[in-house]
Amino acid sequence: MKWRKAGRIFDPREHQLPNGCVEFAQSPQTLVFDDFVRVYFSTRQRDDTTGKYLSHVAFVDFDKDLRRIRRVSGQTVLPLGGLGSFDEHGIFPINPLRHDGRVMAYTCGWSRRVSVSVETGIGRVVSDDDGETFYRQGLGGPVLGASLQEPFLVGDPFVRVFEGRFHMWYMFGTRWKQYEDADVPERIYKIGHAVSDDGLQWEKQEGEAIVGDRLGGDESQALPTVIAFGGRYHMYFCYRHSSDFRSNQDRGYRIGHAHSGDLLHWTRDDGDSGIDLSPQGWDSQMMCYPHVFTCNEKIYMLYNGNAFGREGFGLAVLE
Amino acid sequence: MFEWKKRGLLFDPTGVSGRDWLKEFAQAPATLIFDDFVRVYFSCRPPADANGQYVSYSAYVDLNRNNLFDIIGVAERPFLELGDSGTFDEFGTYPVSVIRDGADVLAYYAGWTRCESVPFNVAIGMARSTDGGVTFSRCGPGPVLPYSQDEPFVLSGPKIRRFGGRWYLWYIAGRKWKMAAGRAEPVYKIRMASSEDGVNWNRRGRDLIESRIEADEAQASPDVFYSDGRYHMFFCYRYSTDFRGKAKGYRIGYAHSDDMETWVREDSLAGIEVSESGWDSEMLSYPHVFALDGRTYMLYLGNAVGKRGFGLAELQGRLA
Repeated sequence: MKWRKAGRIFDPREHQLPNGCVEFAQSPQTLVFDDFVRVYFSTRQRDDTTGKYLSHVAFVDFDKDLRRIRRVSGQTVLPLGGLGSFDEHGIFPINPLRHDGRVMAYTCGWSRRVSVSVETGIGRVVSDDDGETFYRQGLGGPVLGASLQEPFLVGDPFVRVFEGRFHMWYMFGTRWKQYEDADVPERIYKIGHAVSDDGLQWEKQEGEAIVGDRLGGDESQALPTVIAFGGRYHMYFCYRHSSDFRSNQDRGYRIGHAHSGDLLHWTRDDGDSGIDLSPQGWDSQMMCYPHVFTCNEKIYMLYNGNAFGREGFGLAVLE
Repeated sequence: MFEWKKRGLLFDPTGVSGRDWLKEFAQAPATLIFDDFVRVYFSCRPPADANGQYVSYSAYVDLNRNNLFDIIGVAERPFLELGDSGTFDEFGTYPVSVIRDGADVLAYYAGWTRCESVPFNVAIGMARSTDGGVTFSRCGPGPVLPYSQDEPFVLSGPKIRRFGGRWYLWYIAGRKWKMAAGRAEPVYKIRMASSEDGVNWNRRGRDLIESRIEADEAQASPDVFYSDGRYHMFFCYRYSTDFRGKAKGYRIGYAHSDDMETWVREDSLAGIEVSESGWDSEMLSYPHVFALDGRTYMLYLGNAVGKRGFGLAELQGRLA
């Protein structure tokens, strides 16, 4: 497997973004239309009251060759959740899909905690305007969250209908760990799997990390994306060490790969991911948040580079 | 109207010594009946920390079955330690509801975490005891009843029951946070779920009890008791703001149902009100009804939501 890099295709600093966001275009994920491709991403606003960030959803529309930008969303795509909600302080990432002619999306909502930095949950939102805007249903709570064996940090949903059922791959936290050289506890998370008949009621493979560790038990795995080609299912995700990963490029995110014949049993083979750091430039220190999709009969990967996508996202094409 | 004869304050936690985790409060009493004693689980607190914040533990007191005012023992340790870093029950385990499961005892409890924008969030956990309810271990580090689209936060006040071979869980679910006097207060309503195995829950997803005193009325402690062919629920309710005094504080309400699905609220039948003076003269809350040796009792909290403990009332006649 070999991916040909096409370079960075979106730099958020070159565009006017809604909600006063100025940097970050994280976890690009697509909705393909007849004559254009919409790429949703999460960008950040500085919260003046705390000095912390709020993550907002935005999108950019490309021509179908993914070279020319048509426009960037000018308004709020999905407002943050209300006081005390699971998605009050950020929505990152958002995973859009079409089902039964309707556009919907699964979200990872963020809310801040006191003893640890954050908790997350997975929400579902729907759109009546082809994905320009989304709204919540019910009282806006999550459709998937912490459970007996997945105690926190359920997030990063990727949902597709395969073989007649909704499948969700997502991350769940296993531990908040205080490392000796760190000021605050760091999170460790793994990739899990759930199935559903209606996209709302989910049945987890409770507490089961479905992709093996490569860096040992303290490896964190995030943002799975699954696609079928060549007679099997392929999962791309990102993984890193759980401490000293922000600025030490030897411990930061890389893109991993696993394959499966039945959607349940996965064989990890990162060596076969076919994509790695560039010698220099925007993706030379870190690669993360992959999203694989088909457009005009080609298979593409969108991903973030250095600094978790602070300077945008790039594209690669499967050869 | 039912007639409850008040028997007075039964357990005062401030009189217990030698337990630094049990300084004040004895909240949300729940019984487990043994051959010669009645074990009452309750939730308590050590002194507040330097920032004025509390954690809460749950434990039990054993009462002589022949004289409930004869306290024959107090737990040496909390029924569970607090949860690990980042878990839902890191800062409190309150309240707890217990039930026998064969030779084991199951506990469903509310776990507390602390948040930045609102003071806390709450979720329901599950623990099992294999030593008759003295010590428990978690069935998992996370909650047993997750949040949902219709129950977005503050899942608390579990009451576990078993009827006709099926598990039932009554609990409360938050529906909004309301700012009042610079403080975020949750509005919560009574809900129900049922289960074949006690682990996977099928929730009704609707408020069971209509609100009476205001739309944002907060409802808690849905204690269901089956008697004379009917399900009886005693619960407590209060105004959503300014509720820490007598005027808008907790009172005990009542509803009945033939099928556990449809409930008719008739607070006028509850039959228990605040006293003229004394420990329960400002508010009444967290009722728990149990039958013992042919009599029907209610344990309940008085002023300051159980800061000075819980009391006992005895029903005259039966629930019908």
